Amino acid sequence: MSTVISIESLNKSYDKQSVLSGLNWQVSQGDIVGLLGKNGAGKSTLLKSLLNIDEIDGGQISVFDEAHHSLSISSKEKIGYVPQENDEITWLPVTDLIKFRKQFYQQWSDEKVNYYLDKWQIDTRKKMIELSPGQAQKVLIILALASMPKLLIFDEPASALDPAGRRDLLKELVNLACDENITVIFSTHITSDLERLASKVAILDKGKICYFDDLDKTKENVVQLVMHGQQLSQQQIPNALRSDIKGNNTYCVVTKVDLIWLEEQKQQGVKIDIKPMGLEDIFLEITAS
Amino acid sequence: MTQFSISASSGIPIYKQLCTQIERMILTDAFSQGEVLPSVRQVASELEVNPMTVSKAYGLLEERGVLTRLRGKGMAVAKQAPEKSNKERLLVLSAMIDELVKEAMLMGLTDDELTKLFKEKLDAEYSLAVIKE
Repeated sequence: MSTVISIESLNKSYDKQSVLSGLNWQVSQGDIVGLLGKNGAGKSTLLKSLLNIDEIDGGQISVFDEAHHSLSISSKEKIGYVPQENDEITWLPVTDLIKFRKQFYQQWSDEKVNYYLDKWQIDTRKKMIELSPGQAQKVLIILALASMPKLLIFDEPASALDPAGRRDLLKELVNLACDENITVIFSTHITSDLERLASKVAILDKGKICYFDDLDKTKENVVQLVMHGQQLSQQQIPNALRSDIKGNNTYCVVTKVDLIWLEEQKQQGVKIDIKPMGLEDIFLEITAS
Repeated sequence: MTQFSISASSGIPIYKQLCTQIERMILTDAFSQGEVLPSVRQVASELEVNPMTVSKAYGLLEERGVLTRLRGKGMAVAKQAPEKSNKERLLVLSAMIDELVKEAMLMGLTDDELTKLFKEKLDAEYSLAVIKE
């Protein structure tokens, strides 16, 4: 799989407050990545940095094998971006905004635009500023999808959408993933949105991508162990993130079960249950300390 | 119509949930031998999941010999020798019994109590079957 985004030692701070520090990350073609992070972790900053909307303090970013600050027009055309807040011209009526944006692209699907304008019942005579936040976000999504991008970047797509709108967006992304080898990154702090669609999950914490793996592998690897009749400390359990002793049992979250260790414990007669965890719990555990 | 149902927030990966469900549906004859399964695209858009997830489940079941790939038609339920499908049946049941045993242990039931309960349930099922006949 070819690399679509490559980030090396990215640094970014605002007013001497460091947000991203020494961040490394690579996203391959066809990945559908859910980018998780707490409020203020820097998700928007990371996305804006790689799109060169925000200037970076240091590091290297390449998108489609080109330096992110000097992307060719053909590469730029392949990117669709939906910001968290409306950054389009607020005084233009929707219909004019769409016409304006269309001029910048070689490829543009009027069909898709009309389909979603109709489906989402957007009054195209209204100015952007007159729309509700949810409606404005839908217009931004339509603009991003219209140019049939190869790389789609959503910053909190679900934040202003109603459940039906979220479902529509998910369906569209499923179709895009079926038909074209599209790469998608969407930031969110709502894990349920990404559990259905994401192939990979990235966690941004303390200025770095501290976790990046297949969603399936994540669910298979990060589990809770319950050791019956055992009181073990965290150090005694391999790959432990956190452990608690309750009564006679030890409850421990591990990033991966050490099979040799597990076998040893079993041989010693220790009864261990392995319990799968949902992504929300996994996210909380990884970002807890 | 959605034939499969998944729980996205569960700790069990979606592809695994699909595998188990399809295997169960075959064993309970919800899918008959040779029947063509819905396409990856159909399942993905109905469940709103990543198509790769569906492909992964289908691929795994193909490896296990549960499904066969028909050229240009998609995936179909494999024709299986009866003794093999019996083995598969036991394998699926075995996983379900594991869950049950775990729960029972957590509740603090003894082996005897559990065995007794199981025997009672079996007997009840048999007598019901006899009445039906």
